[in-house]
Amino acid sequence: MTTELNRRDFLKGSAATGVGMTLWFTLGDGVGRAASASAFDPDASMTITPDGLVTVHITKSEMGQGVGTALAQILAEELEADWKDIRVDYPTSDPKYGLMLTGGSWSVNWTFDTLSRAGAAARLALVDAAAQYWKVPAEECVAARSMVRHLPTGRSISYGEIVAKAPITRKFSEDDLKKLVLKKPSEYRVVGQWIQRLDIPEKTNGRAKFGIDSFVPGMVYAKTAYPPTREGGKHTAVDDTAAKKVKGWLKTIVNDQLVAVVATSYESAVKARDALKITWAPGPNAGVSSESIFRDFAAKAKDGAGAIEWHKGGDGAAAFAQAARVHQASYTTDYVAHMQMEPMNCVARFEGGVYDLYTGSQFQTLAMGTLAAVLKTDQKNIRIHQHYLGGGFGRRLDPDIILEAAIIAREAGRPIKLIRSREEDLRRDFYRSATLQTLRGGLDASGKVAAWDNVIVATHPGNRWGPDFVDKQGLDQFALNGADHVYSIANQSVRAIRMETGISVGYVRAVAPNYTFFAVESFVDELADLTKTDPLAFRLSMLGDAPRLANVLRLAAERAGWGTPLPPNVGRGLACVSAQEKKSPTWTASVVQARVDPATGQVRVEKIICAVDCGIVVNPDGVRSQVEGSLLFGLSNALKERGTVANGALVQSNFHDYQVLRMNDVPDVVEVHVVPSTEYPTGVGEPGATTIAPALANAIFAATGARVRGVPLIAERVLQAIKDKA
Amino acid sequence: MATLLVNGKSQTVDVSPDTPLLWAIREHLKLTGTKFGCGVAQCGACTVHLDGTAVRSCQTTIAQAAGKKITTIEGLHPQGRHPLQLAWIAEQVPQCGYCQSGQIMQAASLLAKTPKPTDDEIVAAMSGNICRCATYVRIKRAIKRAAGV
Repeated sequence: MTTELNRRDFLKGSAATGVGMTLWFTLGDGVGRAASASAFDPDASMTITPDGLVTVHITKSEMGQGVGTALAQILAEELEADWKDIRVDYPTSDPKYGLMLTGGSWSVNWTFDTLSRAGAAARLALVDAAAQYWKVPAEECVAARSMVRHLPTGRSISYGEIVAKAPITRKFSEDDLKKLVLKKPSEYRVVGQWIQRLDIPEKTNGRAKFGIDSFVPGMVYAKTAYPPTREGGKHTAVDDTAAKKVKGWLKTIVNDQLVAVVATSYESAVKARDALKITWAPGPNAGVSSESIFRDFAAKAKDGAGAIEWHKGGDGAAAFAQAARVHQASYTTDYVAHMQMEPMNCVARFEGGVYDLYTGSQFQTLAMGTLAAVLKTDQKNIRIHQHYLGGGFGRRLDPDIILEAAIIAREAGRPIKLIRSREEDLRRDFYRSATLQTLRGGLDASGKVAAWDNVIVATHPGNRWGPDFVDKQGLDQFALNGADHVYSIANQSVRAIRMETGISVGYVRAVAPNYTFFAVESFVDELADLTKTDPLAFRLSMLGDAPRLANVLRLAAERAGWGTPLPPNVGRGLACVSAQEKKSPTWTASVVQARVDPATGQVRVEKIICAVDCGIVVNPDGVRSQVEGSLLFGLSNALKERGTVANGALVQSNFHDYQVLRMNDVPDVVEVHVVPSTEYPTGVGEPGATTIAPALANAIFAATGARVRGVPLIAERVLQAIKDKA
Repeated sequence: MATLLVNGKSQTVDVSPDTPLLWAIREHLKLTGTKFGCGVAQCGACTVHLDGTAVRSCQTTIAQAAGKKITTIEGLHPQGRHPLQLAWIAEQVPQCGYCQSGQIMQAASLLAKTPKPTDDEIVAAMSGNICRCATYVRIKRAIKRAAGV
């Protein structure tokens, strides 16, 4: 697909103005309106119906985080709804929902306050309606368990009855909402409870509907033919003589944007597409390889030209000049693919000028804007019907498959289902950028870190989406964050060198902190070793400004038996992070215990002990589940996943050569310790992942004395590091 | 045209004999609990039972499946209350859930033949099924719960 996206306009008129905090429900002219005998629909966040059910509209994508349950718990808490009355749905895209974006471990962090206030406002409106119905003062009424009770008489009325019988008239301005007094954590009855996730039963019996499970009347199947290079390839000639002879072939679509066939079934669409004879112009990137990319990265890093300052404190140059000792080390990370289990797919229908798109999206706002711009229509004509996501991990932020399906449906003149094969999914992915990071540390005479410099060479994904997604210097903070660690170092700088390589990059779970913390936390260990200091004590000496991080670090170390003896070739390593972002961190520390075979370089991870402080815990088992999953996702990245490039495209094609973690790779012990807290909640979907590569590299060093500076930490690199040391 | 015996019901599907069973089940019969993940028997998302044994439906042709009893996740238990399904809920296993039909079908095949599996037997039987959310710790726990080991 070679669509030239016009990204200038797509955010106009939408609520998205870059990535940041947005009120995700619209208030209109105030919350609450007269609604009798139908439904109470106070804002975009919920609907209460006469049967007493409270349906919470989840505008975040459910991709396994249990977001529906967690957000409903937040709302139910202040609404005083009985949990048994709670339902959730995932509405079709609509500008009234504001920014529809799910990622960054943001969901609970961004919505905790607004959903609490929405719940509280709805409760007050229901209480007022009940009081007026009874003609008693509202002050004499209280709400609990989906009922309003009149204290002096003991009368009660359910929320459902109120909706059916009593006009609900109370309105709330934005100012009123801000002034609402919310519960204290000690008063919580729903938040913090071990409530089972609402989406789990249907995920055990085949009933859960993902995008790929969509059918619409009259639907046929489409397959696209993709150019051989990831970027810049284009078809110059298409011969569909043989394709037309395939049973079930209906149409060949060739336009400036794509080449596709439409057929009566998936299998005939595959056959017909494979029968196309296409001449491709591979474009300018046909010679791009991993070797050429890393060579370019190294040249840029060495030369330093074009490095843009992103983060600075103190006077680095002076501090380095005065340093008693300077240490420098370079770290690389390879491309990483999403490999979400559900390959990208979309069902599209174009009828009466309206595009109905059935899929799972993490960023409906971007999809609506992009489609409206490319298809030259109004955003109101783009409807994305949300489904469960068979894994997101950032892949479903990009609207490429939705746009492709929409174009094909329009050209086919009938609804189509488009499913990418795993090979297509992997080759058309938006990978986590390959990176080269060069760190320099200056130690003073006492062994204290006095100066710190980090130069990060990477591709910045935000540039692909447009100017709203990068800063004034063209830098995407999501390609850099984590490098601005929280250690107390007086003089520090982070500089960025942006590269375009011909390989498309995007956001893969835990994003930049995956590679930035690999470098930061490996380098801190190297400095600890140079000063002959215990890595735990060395870190704690620099965490005076981050007591919550120091706390989880101590906890993880204690639970892992830090400092106790281990057999030969077994080592422990630790890492602590302020991920996902420094401004909304979930304080996370992990200790990894690994066994290394010095003859082969093979690594076996035996234990992962993680401690997490994410503030208020909304759903305790949900937090555990997310942290367990993110730790093992991190282990998969750290141990196995290596995307390599040749001829302008990823070399790997499926799970046989792009290996991910399987059950036989899982450590015997995976422990998660969650610190109780009443602080404002932060997210847990990603931070755990960022601790694993550095903790494992540090464990390998502890076991062997060999420092591996490339992720993944594959046997060949471990063996090489062991040889280099000898 | 082919006749398939799916979840105890005889069904006619208009597909050629070389069609993978997966696509007949999912797209023709609309039993969408069985998932497409890789198409090359590397991930296990498409696992169904053929005469009670777990197979990868993406690598099983219609010709190979004809005449055999095919069981999908929808047919594992009439009310979805197979001991493994109950254990999956009790242990809160699924995250995104996409691979879980395949995981449950694979585990059901294991327990049918080895009712009290050891940890090593569980790992050996389940390592062909990928879960990208990495719910492996809970999958293992749920299998042990269902098996009572």
